Amino acid sequence: MNRPQERGITTRDVVLVALFAAIIVALGLVPPITVGIVPVPITLQTLGVMLAGAVLGPVRGALACGLVVLLTAVGLPVLAGGRGGLGVFAGPTGGYLVGWIPGALVTGLMVKYWAAKLTRGWAKAGAILAACVAGGIVVVYALGIPWLSVSSGLPLREAALGGMVFVPGDLIKAVAAALVAHGVARSYSMELK
Amino acid sequence: MNTSLYVPGNTPLHRLPAGAKFGVLFAAGIGLFLLAHPGVLGAAAAVAAVLVLSARAPLAALRARLLPVGVMLAVLFAATALLQDVPAAVVMLLRLAALILLALAVTLTTRPADLLEFFERLTAPLARVGVADPERISLGVSLVLRFVPEVFRRFQEIREAQAARGLKANPVALLVPLIVRTLKAADDVADAIDARCYPPPRRPSGGARTEENPT
Repeated sequence: MNRPQERGITTRDVVLVALFAAIIVALGLVPPITVGIVPVPITLQTLGVMLAGAVLGPVRGALACGLVVLLTAVGLPVLAGGRGGLGVFAGPTGGYLVGWIPGALVTGLMVKYWAAKLTRGWAKAGAILAACVAGGIVVVYALGIPWLSVSSGLPLREAALGGMVFVPGDLIKAVAAALVAHGVARSYSMELK
Repeated sequence: MNTSLYVPGNTPLHRLPAGAKFGVLFAAGIGLFLLAHPGVLGAAAAVAAVLVLSARAPLAALRARLLPVGVMLAVLFAATALLQDVPAAVVMLLRLAALILLALAVTLTTRPADLLEFFERLTAPLARVGVADPERISLGVSLVLRFVPEVFRRFQEIREAQAARGLKANPVALLVPLIVRTLKAADDVADAIDARCYPPPRRPSGGARTEENPT
């Protein structure tokens, strides 16, 4: 790791990270929305995690998620439904929360080094979607499911099967995140970091 | 949102330093996973429950904290009992209940500021090699707390404006303007912070004024 000056985290980066963390927290306050045919209401908070990586870039996106995780740990009700506190980490779903940090990092890396370089609109949106699925679903589940398995004593296979319940909702969120990130990039161009 | 999960009080748990409480919780987190005897785990859960009660939190607050966790544990208990067997489900239930109750006791009795300060001291070695900067982290934390109501208000404004035009709630149409506006606001906030020279440069404090006016 380099020193902060060399790494170039400016005041603007700190503000962007904090404001995006505020967006993630605020999305947890929004009443769950029922989308079309899927009967399960979805909260928008994990959408914010995918967006953090896709809009801010890998480092700042991961830092924004890290800030939300830190606020959860010190006991503020920043998660959807007013949850928070150290109990979240002690519980079986703690891995999903911790997984946000590498998840946003992976989404950010894929958008920065792959999707942002594409020129055709539909190819770009598709690449952002792939980045949201890889970071926001694959990476987050890769931490969440083993954590659930260790914490509950369920075998890994059963824990993975149980986790699949949330895949349809998360896929819808990934599509929404890709559309939002694409729309934001068109109206406000920003260097990814 | 501005309310934290902390409940003010002056019980023995409140008076313990944040570091000690976190240390015990961390040790319990490892210890409880090494144990598999239902009796011992049951005793641990009972001790944790007594600790939570000793925090003297209002019952309504406890119910709000424990109800969602209880539902989740019940689902997990049923799943484990079906997929494995009942003894394994009992061990899982007691272990998680003990750990979650202990963590709740720490959260209820420790001010967020104290825990934050403890984490800051914990990461001090990282700060010295330049990986984490405590001043920037605390700037980030206070900005989040300041801007959550702001972002939420902006969110409702956009929603109302779209509803007035007969549009249904659509996450994509809501989030694009919300994020663009927030990104633009970030530039103003960053300029305001820079104009006030925050975070202050690291120098021995006290002599700033005389340095500016050398005679």
